[in-house]
Amino acid sequence: MLLPELFALLSSDLFLLLSLLTCLLEERFPKPVPYVYQMAAVMGFGHLLVSRMFLTVFDEYMRFWYNLFYLAVALANVVAINLYLAISKRRWTLAKVWSSAVTFPTVFISMIFVYNYSYAQGATFPLFMLQLILALFVVILGISVSVLLSPKLSQKLRRR
Amino acid sequence: MEIGNIKLTKSTKFLILLLTSMLIAVANATIFYNLTMQPQVTVSSPALIFSSAPDEPSGSTVNDAWCRLTAKSYPNATLTYEQAVYINNTDGASAHSFRLRHVSMTPTNGTASVGNWTSIKFLVYNSTGYVFSLNYTVSGTDWILEPSNGETGYYSIPLSAGWWIRLETLSPATATTEVCEIQIDVDVQE
Repeated sequence: MLLPELFALLSSDLFLLLSLLTCLLEERFPKPVPYVYQMAAVMGFGHLLVSRMFLTVFDEYMRFWYNLFYLAVALANVVAINLYLAISKRRWTLAKVWSSAVTFPTVFISMIFVYNYSYAQGATFPLFMLQLILALFVVILGISVSVLLSPKLSQKLRRR
Repeated sequence: MEIGNIKLTKSTKFLILLLTSMLIAVANATIFYNLTMQPQVTVSSPALIFSSAPDEPSGSTVNDAWCRLTAKSYPNATLTYEQAVYINNTDGASAHSFRLRHVSMTPTNGTASVGNWTSIKFLVYNSTGYVFSLNYTVSGTDWILEPSNGETGYYSIPLSAGWWIRLETLSPATATTEVCEIQIDVDVQE
């Protein structure tokens, strides 16, 4: 049986991944960023700890939403870094690599977990719209990243 | 040298972050593993329950999960409690199988007082007739169980159906006042 805390575990690992990657690319990011992500990962540990301590108090509905919120924050950070590299730093190649190696897989894997969780719960939660939105998000992200960051379009943007 | 002035190389920073990341990941995984190992036991009413029937012996106690029947036995005359107790399937969604299983009885084998009974039979009926039974007959000073292993087969009771136990007792003409206690378990397959 899938637990909603799986989202917190996944999110925490995402933050750790971001921390290590931003450390490797430290020239392109503000210095505190890797450490901020480490702190965010520790917050995930706190999430899991709270869930464990108050398992009998919090119902599954509540646990699901606060874990999903944490996952959404982690995914937003992944996308934000992608946009930061592409727009603010204008590192198009790096942004493309980031989108294909980090953003797309993490969003897609997260969507699969959320979908599986809702399926296993017998659609107890009103997740149908959420699944649609996430699926749409993955499709749009995949298309837009490959189209927007294509060399031709980036040249046009530079001309403007 | 002040701590603030220590210059860390990129590889050192990465190594430190890698180690703390591993520490956090292992701690998270441990907590998550503990969460998955939390037993979740839900208290609910049993699918099959006992309920009082028209011919329930007087002085009996019938609860959902257990019942105690205080039946009589007459010398040289078969006493039949046609519908001693009901067994109802309260599950409206699915059928459940159950069986009768002998647990214990007194007086025990080899005791002279066993001779105060000829037979005690627990027969299960449904609306179409006899289904199965667990019988105790006496041979000398020993109880003979039928089935011999003290366990009937499993029989499926349809959803929302009510079956009943017919209790038959018989003592020999020479019987004297004695009490026999039989414990039978009803094993239900959820």
